[in-house]
Amino acid sequence: MASAMVKGGGSRLIKSVSAALGTRFYAKVATGTDIVSAAPNVSLQKARTWDEGIASKFSTTPLKDIFKDKKVVIFGLPGAYTGVCSNKHVPPYKENIDKFKAKGIDSVICVAVNDPYTMNAWAEKLQAKEAIDFYGDFDGSFHKSLDLVTDLSGALLGTRSERYIIYPP
Amino acid sequence: MAPIAVGSVIPDGTLAYLDDDNKPQTVSIHSLAAAKKVIIFGVPGAFTPTCSLKHVPGFIERAEELKGKGVDEIICISVNDPFVMNSWAKTFPENKHVKFLADGAAKYTNALGLELDLSDKGLGVRSKRFALLVEDLKVKVANVESGGEFTISSAEEIIKAL
Repeated sequence: MASAMVKGGGSRLIKSVSAALGTRFYAKVATGTDIVSAAPNVSLQKARTWDEGIASKFSTTPLKDIFKDKKVVIFGLPGAYTGVCSNKHVPPYKENIDKFKAKGIDSVICVAVNDPYTMNAWAEKLQAKEAIDFYGDFDGSFHKSLDLVTDLSGALLGTRSERYIIYPP
Repeated sequence: MAPIAVGSVIPDGTLAYLDDDNKPQTVSIHSLAAAKKVIIFGVPGAFTPTCSLKHVPGFIERAEELKGKGVDEIICISVNDPFVMNSWAKTFPENKHVKFLADGAAKYTNALGLELDLSDKGLGVRSKRFALLVEDLKVKVANVESGGEFTISSAEEIIKAL
């Protein structure tokens, strides 16, 4: 069972990261929510190369496979290759991965409304693939299910995800 | 929308890019193409192999040749946001002339009638692979692949028409 708490700010678990994050907000996911129940039938696409896509027949990963019986931290951001995301949001997670593991977290996942090939190329550029599992939510269905979308058309990005973190109790 | 055909006037539309300060900017297609000879080629996706390894490099390598034959602009468009397009463009450091423009919401691609649903590949609605030769806004050559394959949409093919 995957329970989750959402913080738009930070927590003791990730003090160093919280400073980089934005302000609080209210979403469909709140303390005590079970993510898989809140977003049934939703899948994410693991960051991969096109060849890996072909080899896996472009398979997607259902949420329950990501969260089942695991303690997972998932953080979302507006866009691959954008400033704050690349320079301030991802690096602290990569640098502090050992601290997460020491606290019993099985994996740290980064997700954005981008296709999995762009996510893969970006993850490789940030040299973060070993520490963090990157997933794409190419059509925004994961974020729409959890009411974590924001309209960034003004920045020419369209509908994207909020900046957030979800972690288990 | 029916796909754009030879003899038609290309629709106007707004595409995006990042300027030298990495700020998103927009540009109208007509402002780039009016009274000029331009090549517009479309790709299904930044950071995908055929686009990155074959389609774009072909135009980068033959850019001087195309310019020599009177082509004023070589424009690559894709249904991606301008941040991704900008970063993808940087993976081609040898590029001097090809402009990478973003059609983030697929509006222009739809206006051209060249959209392609690649949701089952995790891409969503994208553009078909194509190359257009446009003179003063009129389409002279329209080489459109039926999907993402790479045959008639290459730089080599369009040079034959010049």
